[in-house]
Amino acid sequence: MAPRFFPERWRNGGWPAGKAFAFIGGVFGSIFLALLIWLAADQRVVLERSQRLLDKTVPSTLEQFRLARNVEQLRLEGERVLSGPTPVARQQALFIVSLLASHPALLADARAAALAHEVEAFLARAARADSKVDDSAEWATLSNRLSLLADDVSIDGVNLATDDLRQMAATMASSRVRLAIVLAVVAAFVGAILFLIHRYLIRPLQAMDEALSALRSGQASKPFATALMREIGAVEGAIGELREAMHEKEQAARQLLLLATIDDLTGMFNRRHFMALADEEIKRAQRYDRPICVAMADLDFFKQINDNYGHAVGDLVLQSVAQVIEKTLRQSDWVCRYGGEEFAFLFPETGVEEAHRLADRLCQRVARNPLELANDVCLPITLSLGLADVGSASLAAALRRADTALYEAKRQGRNRVAIAPLATAAADPASSSVEPQPPAAGPDPPARSRP
Amino acid sequence: MYRLRSLNNRAFLSVLLALATCAPALANDGVVRVAVLSNSPPMSYTDAAGQPAGFNVGIAQALCAAMEVRCQLTVVPLQRVIPAVAAGEFDFSAVSLLDTPERRAKVLFTKAYYRSNSVWFAKPGVEPGAAGARVAAVAGSAQFRYAAAQGWSTTSVRHHSELPALLMAGKVDAVLLPMATSLTLRQDPGIQSLGLATTIMRQAELSGDVSFAVDPAKPELRERIDQAFDRIKRDGSFDRLNSEYFPFRLQ
Repeated sequence: MAPRFFPERWRNGGWPAGKAFAFIGGVFGSIFLALLIWLAADQRVVLERSQRLLDKTVPSTLEQFRLARNVEQLRLEGERVLSGPTPVARQQALFIVSLLASHPALLADARAAALAHEVEAFLARAARADSKVDDSAEWATLSNRLSLLADDVSIDGVNLATDDLRQMAATMASSRVRLAIVLAVVAAFVGAILFLIHRYLIRPLQAMDEALSALRSGQASKPFATALMREIGAVEGAIGELREAMHEKEQAARQLLLLATIDDLTGMFNRRHFMALADEEIKRAQRYDRPICVAMADLDFFKQINDNYGHAVGDLVLQSVAQVIEKTLRQSDWVCRYGGEEFAFLFPETGVEEAHRLADRLCQRVARNPLELANDVCLPITLSLGLADVGSASLAAALRRADTALYEAKRQGRNRVAIAPLATAAADPASSSVEPQPPAAGPDPPARSRP
Repeated sequence: MYRLRSLNNRAFLSVLLALATCAPALANDGVVRVAVLSNSPPMSYTDAAGQPAGFNVGIAQALCAAMEVRCQLTVVPLQRVIPAVAAGEFDFSAVSLLDTPERRAKVLFTKAYYRSNSVWFAKPGVEPGAAGARVAAVAGSAQFRYAAAQGWSTTSVRHHSELPALLMAGKVDAVLLPMATSLTLRQDPGIQSLGLATTIMRQAELSGDVSFAVDPAKPELRERIDQAFDRIKRDGSFDRLNSEYFPFRLQ
């Protein structure tokens, strides 16, 4: 079920996968771009700060170092003023002191300017030849102050760079957190995409594969839930239609098979199917030298029934007899409607005696099951049956002999079984000829006409 | 001695030559023409081998190395520096010039490479501006311009090195000169015996930023020189030259 905030069209018709993934990609792309800009902001700050460090701070630091060096130089020149080897050297040192004390760069620093002024004044006074005061203690103090100031100025210079570096470090730390967030977002997106692909692409595809495998093996799989992705849904629909089509085709094939093998009215095998099956069965029995019998049966006085009660009742009689036959025969016995009111039988693995008993029982059962018509008329039905041992004969020859026996049964008074005499090679001249023509087809030959 | 410092490698020189030929802003043969002074120790002078030497000469060579160009140094008197650079005869001048409005109207100035002030050297008792005092300064210098502007009796010389002789001969009572050259003057044995008094002059016209002058038609060269100054101040070559020529740091 699609979340509610998607358009109605999508919720009902499934998502177009291309658009859905483009949408997701677009959303993530925007988020990722925003995050990159966010990251880039930190990098820009670091770059700006490092550039500033290089362009401004380091030169300023070096200027501070130069100032510190000059403050220290002031102290050294002061020492020379007080203890220079010659008056000229002392004068030269005092000159440098005055130059340093007036140096614009030194004057720019208030602490240095004040102390340099004090030092210059002291040294000028001390350099005067008439000075008799012992000023070594005062100089020691000034000299110490100059040293300390030089240290302070140097440290100030270093601190300029330290501040920049500290800010850069803070920015880098924040940048690391941001990078972790960006990576987490990317990981979440990749996970979500994998989940979506698995849920909405791979699983439907697997279901389709299963369905197609089932179709291949002939099973009609049950229809699956419609996928959320429109394209996947379309393929699923196509597979569903294929499944329906194959199912219908299978039904039709089954129907055709039935039509080709079954007699419409009685539900028995039709003659052609029976002949094919029986031929195979006889060949098998002959190959293994097993007993096998065939029989031909014919309803007695069926023409009168048709004439007196109409073809509809005739059909009912045929159906009723067919039911009795089905119930009476063993599972291994085969029977077909041979044509009109004639039936043909095959009794595999059955000798003449056993077949005879079976045929007798069949005749009795048919006779005991008259057809009850609507107006309390009970229509008696009987069956005449000719039985023949197949032996080494062909199906056609065996059936012909059974037919002859059937004729004999009719002649003997109907509702009975007659057994054909055992076939001999001489008595079976037509063993390779075609099967006897069914009595229903065309006018009966005089020898086979039945009352 | 002609100081080459980092240029004394032949291969490096040939690379410099190749690079110099690629620089369109420079003279036709790729050589940067630089004006320097002579007879102005410790800034610029001719050494025993007859080669230009001094702090400014060293700075010029360090800048050219940093810019990766070949430089041709030519000696000119101070008075000719501004007109020659303004006329494009030189690409820049390696001469310490106080950044004054008059000069700025004629040439481009690089960023200040140090700050200076001026020194009044005089017989004891002769204060700056004393009535009847005769003062000497180098022609074309800010000091000469200042003295003349004050209405003092002013004598001009071509080079700083001519000043001690004037003082010793008693032709002038005082000289007015920049801080850097005053250090050498003060060490002159002939001067020391005179017992001269010094006064530091911090007037606006006599102190402040000191820069090199650049051909006004080549602002891009000025940019490159500024960057080269940043570089030599960062990599220590500026301070090494400073230590070589001065007892304290120029700033």
